[in-house]
Amino acid sequence: MELLLANHSSYPRIGDDADQQLLRRTITQRDKGEKNDADVRAAEAHLTELALAEQSAAGLQVVTDGLIRWYDPISHLTGKLAGVRINGLLRFFDTNCYFRQPVVHAKPQRGEPLLVEEFTFAKAHSSRPVKVVLTGPYTLARHSVEEKGGAGGFAKVLEAFTAALAEEVAALAAAGADLIQVEEPSLLKQPEDYPAVEQNLAALAARKGSAQLALAVYFGDPAPLYDKLQTLPVDLLVLDFTYSPSLVETVATRGTAKTLGLGLVDGRNTRLEDASGVARQLEKIAKARNPGRAYLNPSCGLEYLPRDRAQLKLHHLAAIQRVFLGRAA
Amino acid sequence: MSRAKLQRLGINLPLFPTTSVGSFPKPDFLMKARGEFAKKLISRAELEKAERQATEFWICKQEELGVDVLVDGEMYRGDMVAYFADNLEGFEIGGLVRSYGNRYYHKPIITGEVRWKGPITVDWWKYAQSLTRKPVKGMLTGPYTVMDWSFIESYPDRRAATLPLAREIRKEVEALIQAGAKIIQIDEPAVSVRPEELPVAIEAMHVVTDGLPAYFITHICYGAFEHIYPDMLNLPVDNFDLEMSNSGLDMLALFQKQRYTKDISFGVVDVHTHLVEAEPVVEQRLRQALETLPKEAIWVDPDCGLKTRTVDEAIAKMQALVRAAQALRTVTSDQ
Repeated sequence: MELLLANHSSYPRIGDDADQQLLRRTITQRDKGEKNDADVRAAEAHLTELALAEQSAAGLQVVTDGLIRWYDPISHLTGKLAGVRINGLLRFFDTNCYFRQPVVHAKPQRGEPLLVEEFTFAKAHSSRPVKVVLTGPYTLARHSVEEKGGAGGFAKVLEAFTAALAEEVAALAAAGADLIQVEEPSLLKQPEDYPAVEQNLAALAARKGSAQLALAVYFGDPAPLYDKLQTLPVDLLVLDFTYSPSLVETVATRGTAKTLGLGLVDGRNTRLEDASGVARQLEKIAKARNPGRAYLNPSCGLEYLPRDRAQLKLHHLAAIQRVFLGRAA
Repeated sequence: MSRAKLQRLGINLPLFPTTSVGSFPKPDFLMKARGEFAKKLISRAELEKAERQATEFWICKQEELGVDVLVDGEMYRGDMVAYFADNLEGFEIGGLVRSYGNRYYHKPIITGEVRWKGPITVDWWKYAQSLTRKPVKGMLTGPYTVMDWSFIESYPDRRAATLPLAREIRKEVEALIQAGAKIIQIDEPAVSVRPEELPVAIEAMHVVTDGLPAYFITHICYGAFEHIYPDMLNLPVDNFDLEMSNSGLDMLALFQKQRYTKDISFGVVDVHTHLVEAEPVVEQRLRQALETLPKEAIWVDPDCGLKTRTVDEAIAKMQALVRAAQALRTVTSDQ
């Protein structure tokens, strides 16, 4: 099994030193009228460059822009769609992070690119391949509320979000994105909606051109859905192993038809995993049928950790990789 | 209803007692002092002097507004978990993580065996209570929330971290009661987040409150109440302090399906908007509450702590809710 290292998605946008606090400081100053939106955008760009550099320095083969510009995983995309306004705060799953809830008052429509500019910036400032991350239509729809008669019900909202994101996937592929990760954590909370997610992913896959499409699921146990996930129209499956006592065994016995993103390193807790233990899990997976290439990545975005601990986790990925390769040799 | 319990404790409150969830914004002079202390420009004693001055400001302000059950405003806290983590053994304070938007907090890391070293909030409660004849709530963060909002390195799982925290927090509750506190609020905003762990939170709350002579309130907010109601009523407290306005009072529909059986501190103003609700809007929310809940059970307060608002906004929001409660009190007292 060829084992590469990848970031999952988000990265802390603040740290302990003054430079790492530039974005927070600038937003505060903008809110007081001392700086403007252009200053905030410049600070976002600077923090994005720092995030890219720290991922490269940790030895990752695939990086992300850290989602530094995102207010949250939901409103950053939906807030740019016509027919949607952004409302109050709600907790994002069982994290202590909050998102702003979209209110759908008319059919959601994409009038402008959502992430293309952010991707092209990251690509231009990274020495490593950049994975683009976008929250999937099902998770967006599950976190939205519809105003009376807004869009014709949940199914119609989902359909409209899917159409908007399919256009975005096409635009990202045209802009040179090689790897696009669609995040659907809500699927693990409501697995009965699997058929809808399958249908939506097919719509996105149809527009991906030569890019590879990844599905990421997290904040839950994907083992019960593992066989179904293997049939989805995606090239990669990025899985959270931290909620599942059986997923390593499941992968080892069932094998995989997809490239796997192995979320064996907990992106939500500071405790560093025993490198030998994770390497043993990797060995099990490597003996599965058709392991091919796999990515070792955190179980979810790293924004839930303090920056110094997020950095340690990334470096820990490399340490685990060394142990694994040492044993394999 | 727990009015009889309050009376046994020597506390007589009017209909629709007004209170606040706990935190108030720190006045500019305190923010300046905190900044100077962080840069080591002033001493701990000088910072504490500013904190006491700010506490006095908020006690006076609540008195002026006519609030019935007061809080110290938490002028001495950064955030509700890190403050306790800082004052218990077994924690390290981690770096900043984001809460939302441009708001960050220092998330603690449990790295050892947790242990209560001695009173944490008691002197502040005594000081605040010395400034008023109205009851001041003792204010603590509950064990489940301290666990959930910390990284866990030294315990094998979440329950194993929660129960020792509960045992240690009970010692703080006992110290508050010994000092004279009769109303104690145990904030558990994290309880609504993982429905499958509600039994752990209930078990922990029993450890904290069982057999102790106080009126207990718990504050819960911004979660999936539909998944924990009505089971959450098994938390051994007298009063649930709930965020209602931010979610459009939608919990009332749950209460209509399954009877709500405790006192409620009903959040009538949204703390996440700069907009100050007009008094009739607040009164209307209370009238909606009365369609489902008995009047004797209803306390009136904001959705959550007001520390993210400006001082003026916080005062205006408190004023709106006090006036609305007083107006409704007049109308309904004869009914």
